[in-house]
Amino acid sequence: MTDYGHDLLFGTFATPTVQPVRHAVDLAVVADRAGLDLVTFQDHPYQPRFHDTWTLLSYVAARTERVHLSANVLNLPLRQPAMIARSAASLDLLSGGRFELGIGAGAYWDAIEAMGGPRRSAGQAITALDEAIRIIREVWAADRPGGVRVDGEHYRVNGAKRGPAPAHDVNVWVGAYKPRMLRLTGRMADGWLPSLPYFQNGPAELTPMNEQIDEAAVAAGREPAQIRRLLNIGGEFSPTGRSLLNGPPEQWAEDLAGLTLEYGVSAFILMADDPATIEVFAAEVAPATRELVAEERARTAR
Amino acid sequence: MSGSYGHRLEFGTFVTPVNASPDTPVALARRSEALGYDLVTFSDDPDQPAHLDTWTLLAWVAGRTDRIHLAANVLTTPMRPPALLARSAASLDLLSGGRLELALGTGESDRAPGGLAAVEALGGPALEPGAAVDALGESVDVVRAMLDAGDPAPVRYRGEHHRLDGAAGGPLPAHHIPIWLGGTDPRLLRLVGATADGWLSTLDPATPDAVRAGNKLIDEAAREAGRGPSEIRRLLNVSGRFTDTRQGFLHGPAAGWVEDLLPLVVEDGVGTFILITDDVATMERFAREVAPALREAADRALPAPLPRTAARSGAVRARRRPGIAYDELPASLADRAVEPGDIDYSRVKSNYLRGGAPGLVLRPRTPAEVADALAFARAHRHLPLGIRSGGHGISGRSTNDGGIVLDVGELNGIEVLDEARRLVRIGPGARWTDVAQALAPYGWALTSGDYGGVGVGGLATAAGVGWLARKHGLTIDHLRAVELVLADGRVARASETENPDLFWAVRGAGANFGVVTALEFEVDEVGPVGWAQFALDAGDPAGLLTRWGAAVEAAPRDLTSAIIMGPPRMGQPAVAQVMAMVDSDDPATIVAQLQPLADVAPGYDQQVVITSYASVMANASDAPHQAQGEPISRTGLITHLTAEFAAAAARLLTSGVVYFFHIRSIGGAVTDVDPDAMAWSHRGSNFHVTAFGRHRARLDALWDDLLTEHLSGTYLSFETDLRPERLTEAFPPRTLARLRTLKKRYDPDGLFRDNFAITPDTASRTTP
Repeated sequence: MTDYGHDLLFGTFATPTVQPVRHAVDLAVVADRAGLDLVTFQDHPYQPRFHDTWTLLSYVAARTERVHLSANVLNLPLRQPAMIARSAASLDLLSGGRFELGIGAGAYWDAIEAMGGPRRSAGQAITALDEAIRIIREVWAADRPGGVRVDGEHYRVNGAKRGPAPAHDVNVWVGAYKPRMLRLTGRMADGWLPSLPYFQNGPAELTPMNEQIDEAAVAAGREPAQIRRLLNIGGEFSPTGRSLLNGPPEQWAEDLAGLTLEYGVSAFILMADDPATIEVFAAEVAPATRELVAEERARTAR
Repeated sequence: MSGSYGHRLEFGTFVTPVNASPDTPVALARRSEALGYDLVTFSDDPDQPAHLDTWTLLAWVAGRTDRIHLAANVLTTPMRPPALLARSAASLDLLSGGRLELALGTGESDRAPGGLAAVEALGGPALEPGAAVDALGESVDVVRAMLDAGDPAPVRYRGEHHRLDGAAGGPLPAHHIPIWLGGTDPRLLRLVGATADGWLSTLDPATPDAVRAGNKLIDEAAREAGRGPSEIRRLLNVSGRFTDTRQGFLHGPAAGWVEDLLPLVVEDGVGTFILITDDVATMERFAREVAPALREAADRALPAPLPRTAARSGAVRARRRPGIAYDELPASLADRAVEPGDIDYSRVKSNYLRGGAPGLVLRPRTPAEVADALAFARAHRHLPLGIRSGGHGISGRSTNDGGIVLDVGELNGIEVLDEARRLVRIGPGARWTDVAQALAPYGWALTSGDYGGVGVGGLATAAGVGWLARKHGLTIDHLRAVELVLADGRVARASETENPDLFWAVRGAGANFGVVTALEFEVDEVGPVGWAQFALDAGDPAGLLTRWGAAVEAAPRDLTSAIIMGPPRMGQPAVAQVMAMVDSDDPATIVAQLQPLADVAPGYDQQVVITSYASVMANASDAPHQAQGEPISRTGLITHLTAEFAAAAARLLTSGVVYFFHIRSIGGAVTDVDPDAMAWSHRGSNFHVTAFGRHRARLDALWDDLLTEHLSGTYLSFETDLRPERLTEAFPPRTLARLRTLKKRYDPDGLFRDNFAITPDTASRTTP
């Protein structure tokens, strides 16, 4: 039982397809109006069937009002960390504090190299992500004296001016599965963002990974609760319960509350490409899950 | 003196992207749009922590504006990997509806000295000025290669600074994104001449000759590269102050500004002025008093007025087809016309099943523009002429090779005229899925075809065999009036009371008589419907066909069905797909009517849902048609699926020649109409049969040999055989004779001849 006690967030993960051009925009507007907390898009810059994620996030931010936005997760190797920092702060300022930075070390190295990016080993990719997060946080720290200096193996920033500071404390969420990435998450990140379909043995696989993150956090002098546990989920609404996240909305709420109370997951990001599913998730699943979790937290607090 | 380069004179603003009050640059961009500026631009200084990231701001502003074009002024290219820049540009162009322009620079300029050092400090590449221009040139190459999604080959590029190793190109932007280069370095100017679409610089009143000197270098480099200097737009950032009395260059009243700027247009060929200001009053005054006066003054001073539309580049003109007077297109059509070199060409050249390579696609938005397009087509009688609404027709007649296509896709309105009478007016460019969606909230539907992506115009002038055919008849049975442009350019309205002969002809032979611009239908009340999909054993194809045919004929009119069969495949059971719609929301009625269909053969799978007609029609992709090659089909109408027909069909299926065999039910309400009421006269037919094959001659031989004797009449929208007998199958002698008489009246010279041409009745003519 590992509940880190965070408020629950509910979000979407829609395919950023370029055809129809406004598919992802329209679904984001649905999520915003339905009262969801978060809209996210995958980032695969080598995939011409998808929009450029940064451009899409910026455009969607301008077309929505309340919902927070993040890449899920941003592909680092084709972007300059200092530019990510400035762009993220800019989008946070323009959107009134609605941007969060989901970021990953990168994958599909053949495709990245084909696009003119670097090819990195697993170890190099993690080092590069570590350097990038340091640069990004340094750029955001507008009030600190002096320029940004990070002399890394992959990124060297030599005296760049600091700032701008984002409008709110932008969360850095890291997509991670392997031990070194989990340790980086525990050491540096504000959140951990894996995908449930990735776990062949189901949510039970979350437990040992949570432990690795917690250990790394403690070793770095942090509280494990400083790291929010987010989860991309897929599922189906059906009249009768069949399996995890395949059943009526009430069953979804019980499934998700279980993920919160047993595995500490406090953000559920639904892979969905149709408005009806998003609306049911927002109108029925989210409030019922919040209620179940609140009841159980109140019960155990007594 | 370089003179004018003949570009449309445009005006933009240059706004500082301050982040202290991020709403300010956004508000200034919206103000620029409201004031009628063509373009809003923002500086891009990645090292400036007081500024917003320019790309993020451009995308945000795209989401908050509707019309104005957007550009950086200019983008610090070394901080952005060019392949990703291309993808981002395509995305922003698509999301904004074709409003992005790319202005690229090295980061260093007169406005931003030390820019290259700033790039390095930020973690970008360390570049000397010369290398920075080389790298910029490579970036231009990479961006262009990535955006040329007409070429499906992976992009490979080996440069000094940039390397691509098989990156997937695309996506295709919404419009041709021009690449302008910004700066004054002579190496950069030569690069502009060699490759760019524009040169962007900032006017320094202290060195007024710099523009002319730059132009000279650019023009020389352009000529060396075999380009015309006029292909390169000259853009100039300018700043000044409005005062009541003239105090200096761009410092005085509006009239003084016009006087100062005029020589730059007339003598130095500047095509775009971008006003550097964050002051709304200056922006307003320039837009209202300087821009229009400067346009007028330039038109007076130049030998010929500047064009009001964009000119096409040499590269686009090089891909023009012979025999088309492209430059004589009327202004109403020129802007939206698509030529083989245009970015939209791959989106409009092909049909759903037929590849095309037309020389010119005209996209009129009004009946008057349709008339202009037909006038142009009359001057090109030597070329094929296709009329396209949705581009779905199996016959493929709406595209061609080297000819003209008149695409009415923009005439796509859907409007309820009279709710009590259920009278609806629909443009020919609407698609049936859109029509179904629009009618659903009223509890209405209009039977169409079986696929939502089909356009209204082509189908509703041919017949319209759809999922409610047996209950509600053909689409043309619901037509109450049409408006069309005739071959001679006249606009006509036809109904039972206005031009009734024409109304008769349009309902079945519309493609021969004009370009329909609006159709008025009386639609039906249709509530939830039953929708079934069965997978049935087709081991005995002949028996299956006769039993299915008998079950359909015996069914109540609520039920309309179709069957799809393929050739037997080695080692797999033969399976037929049967679809059926039952116009009822009562589960017991639906099941009772479907049961005889499900019983015609053992079933593998079945799905029955109660849904809406609109949901069934929401089966179409929004992607542009990308077909290649020629579809090969034969088609016909039949009264009953007799044992003899079924045996012949089974032989066709096992021949290996046919890969897709499709029968749809008609009958029912279709038979209620007098065969002479409209040009489509096959009221006794209960079924529509179509086969697709891979070899023209083999399919024709088998079809003619096996099936023709069983058929009576045909449906030309599905026919790809162009031999003249098809026309006489489509129209029985009495109908054809009347059509020929009317053809002589409405299109005596045969302008509409590429979609199963009816020859005019020339009996009374003295000349051939």
